[in-house]
Amino acid sequence: MNDFLDQLEACVPALRRYARALTRNADLADDLVQDCLERAISRRGLFRPTGPVRAWLFTILLNLHRNGLRASHRRGETVDLDAVPEPSTPAPQPGHIALAELARAIETLPPEQKEALLLVTLEGIPYAEAAGIIGIPLGTLMSRLGRARAALRTLTGSPAEPHLRTVK
Amino acid sequence: MSEITRDQLMAYADGQLPEDERASMEAFLAANPDAAADVALLQRQSGAIRTLFEPIGAEAVPARLKPARLAAEMARRRARNWGWAAAAVVLVGLGLGTGWFARPLFDARPASQVLIANAVNAHAVYVAENRHAVEVGSDDSEHLSTWLSNRLNTTLGMPDLAAQGFTLVGGRLLPGEPDAGGRAAQLMYENAASDRVTIYVTAALPDRAPAYEFASQDGAEAFYWANARITCTVVGTLPEEQMKAVAGSVYRQLTEGDVGASRPYRG
Repeated sequence: MNDFLDQLEACVPALRRYARALTRNADLADDLVQDCLERAISRRGLFRPTGPVRAWLFTILLNLHRNGLRASHRRGETVDLDAVPEPSTPAPQPGHIALAELARAIETLPPEQKEALLLVTLEGIPYAEAAGIIGIPLGTLMSRLGRARAALRTLTGSPAEPHLRTVK
Repeated sequence: MSEITRDQLMAYADGQLPEDERASMEAFLAANPDAAADVALLQRQSGAIRTLFEPIGAEAVPARLKPARLAAEMARRRARNWGWAAAAVVLVGLGLGTGWFARPLFDARPASQVLIANAVNAHAVYVAENRHAVEVGSDDSEHLSTWLSNRLNTTLGMPDLAAQGFTLVGGRLLPGEPDAGGRAAQLMYENAASDRVTIYVTAALPDRAPAYEFASQDGAEAFYWANARITCTVVGTLPEEQMKAVAGSVYRQLTEGDVGASRPYRG
């Protein structure tokens, strides 16, 4: 049991990061993580110790996030993009993608593209595991990733869509 | 060389291309600068996303997100909920129990009212009878007195109401309140005008406390009193003055010599 709690604890930083990227709101994100952990603890009996705890936790988190989105849509709430705090870190990264621009571009992605893109790029989760977390076939995941990245490229004004179709 | 797909390029950019496909992919990219530029762009995107959000993963985790603490808190909450549930069960049980045992306090009428009601009821039933108005007639008044005294476990003399114009018709034994011995005696008197009054006597109530009460019920007047030995209710439909005279006489005669009943009747 303590082993289980330790496994949860090891996942908390990643869960917070993913939740914050999804919600762009620190309090909301931590609430989401807390709900996720509580659910995991209370359902510990349902968890098969052989499977990866991480995928299970991300699944729970994602479901909670989607439920929250549905609820806030019903309430008609919107996220004010200008109110989203910009990252204080300047771009030390190679390339010319402005981070603030990228953050706004990610906000405009459809939720299902955003959750897939962040799982793979931010969390570095393997495709198969990500597809399992989201609950979609691998092919669907790949096309969502492709669409999300193409949209970001357009939105951040990076070099025009090149010839990536199928090349020899 | 096999066909390179967009998914494969992406997988390579994400570092998720299977080991055995990597060599051919790198050869392909070396020969196709455009594709290599795309891969580089994908990697810059991913890198930028990580730059945006990765620092969050390095932040100190707030205490409320420590699984061990959460688990302890949840266990406490569960225990508290059980505590509340248990308390609720106990309270409901206490309430039910108290309510059950307190029933007599709430819905029982005072004993005197029950006795008066019984007396008035018995009066109404038997004064209407002619041949069977009484069980034992006045011609056997000695036997009547002994019999009723034995049954009520107290000495019961037959009051003489000749001064008020009433003669004894007789008496009968009736079922009574368990609190007052379970039996009652009814004595019936009649005057020349065939007006009837009855006297309803039981053994004393458990509290043996003296009590006096007038009641008007179902068109009949009732005068009730209790002492340490008996309870007595005089019932009749006479005018008030006459009723008081009869009741006063009965009271005097039946409480005569009773310990603690020396107080004269003041109608």
